[in-house]
Amino acid sequence: MIGLSPPRRAAMQRVALPLLVLLSATMVILGKADQVMFESLRVSVTDTASPALDVLSRPLAALGHLTDRARDFVAVYEDNHRLAEENERLLNWQQAALNLASENARLRELLKLTPEPATTFITARVIANSGGAYVRSLMVHAGSENGVERGQAAVTGEGLVGRVSEVGSRAARVLLVTDLNSRVPVIVEGPQQRALLTGDNSERPCLRYLDAGAEIKVGDRVVTSGQGGVFPPRLPVGVVASLDGESPRVEPYVELSRVEYLRIVDYGLADGLPKPVPIASRGGRRTEPLAGAQLGRR
Amino acid sequence: MGLKSAGTLAPQHVENPVARLLPIATTLLATVISIQPAHIPGYAALTPAFTLMAVYHWTIYRPDLLPPFGLFLVGIIQDLLAGVPPGVTALVLLLARAVVLRHRRHFVNRLFPFVWAGFMMLTGGVMLFLWTLHCLLDGVLVDFRGTVFRAVLTVSMFPIASFLLGRTQRTFMGAD
Repeated sequence: MIGLSPPRRAAMQRVALPLLVLLSATMVILGKADQVMFESLRVSVTDTASPALDVLSRPLAALGHLTDRARDFVAVYEDNHRLAEENERLLNWQQAALNLASENARLRELLKLTPEPATTFITARVIANSGGAYVRSLMVHAGSENGVERGQAAVTGEGLVGRVSEVGSRAARVLLVTDLNSRVPVIVEGPQQRALLTGDNSERPCLRYLDAGAEIKVGDRVVTSGQGGVFPPRLPVGVVASLDGESPRVEPYVELSRVEYLRIVDYGLADGLPKPVPIASRGGRRTEPLAGAQLGRR
Repeated sequence: MGLKSAGTLAPQHVENPVARLLPIATTLLATVISIQPAHIPGYAALTPAFTLMAVYHWTIYRPDLLPPFGLFLVGIIQDLLAGVPPGVTALVLLLARAVVLRHRRHFVNRLFPFVWAGFMMLTGGVMLFLWTLHCLLDGVLVDFRGTVFRAVLTVSMFPIASFLLGRTQRTFMGAD
């Protein structure tokens, strides 16, 4: 278009605009009908952009560290007090944990229990988020080259962040537990109630499919149940924060918007999430994988 | 900020290749800025629509240098990087261009408050459109409050973006 005269270029732009609007609308509809269609395109664009995004995200992260440091400096006295108390409490817990661990080991020995699969970690830096009200995901600077696989759990020290939904060679996307398409089978500790933690793009996902008479209290701990085979059981997720409205809401332990590094954890369970099959290759039979349908896919 | 904005109805020809790429480059930069993790609680959901600001600015002052195809590409790249259904941002940006282009003569060479008011109306329309689109795509009534906050934040950030874009435009393309 560069060699064209200005009037001709303007005329061409007039024709191009409706065509491109139509093309975009078609893409939206096609993408909705077959969610896998654009996945390879998305993965390759993400891969290409990830080194640049990694560099560009550093100044903001550095600024964040600076403000954190300033805040820490102001709060150093109170923090010290709090930490000393916490340390005392934790030392007691450490004793309890050591006792339980040795007891557990003895009992396992007695029962000849097969050991759980070894877990491996990949620590990855967050280089982009979804920047908008309708999707909750993060892009991390680690991909299949580093051993990241679809379906792996993403956690921080505090608890569950989400799961890996797309993997490129250098970058991967993590669907947060707050996303509209996120479904995590959980247990509410206390009443030991099973439920499905359902994201709705708000800061606090809600608990669905609870038993009618379930006695849930504000402050009850919510952990993964391990059902569905995507997440291992007993990963901390959050606490019940409110009981108003239709279903109880859960405040995640992790402050999702402040995550800078997260750990992608391979519990040897990633096979639980079936690979999506494009509609074209599904043939006449539409065999929707159960776990994929249950857990929602983007 | 200069009260009178740069630009005329019939934009002059720009030879400098750097200047010619400026609209596309700044719009792409706006895209990258809008997916930056800012580590501020709740920011991700309320990120201002920086790309829309750039598109509005360039459609008013240099529509010839931000052609539909370039806009389409920027939109698709933003969708793919942000994890949004592909086509959504492209569609919104192209429609925004069509609307702004139609009313362009009301905003060229006007005082900044006029330009800002125009952007306010555009943002209102765009946010409503996005909300409706996502409700339809996801099949649920998405919470409207996030959309309202995002619109407010977008409109209030516009003067800064407009100042920076105007400055860049004057530096590379000269005054009108």
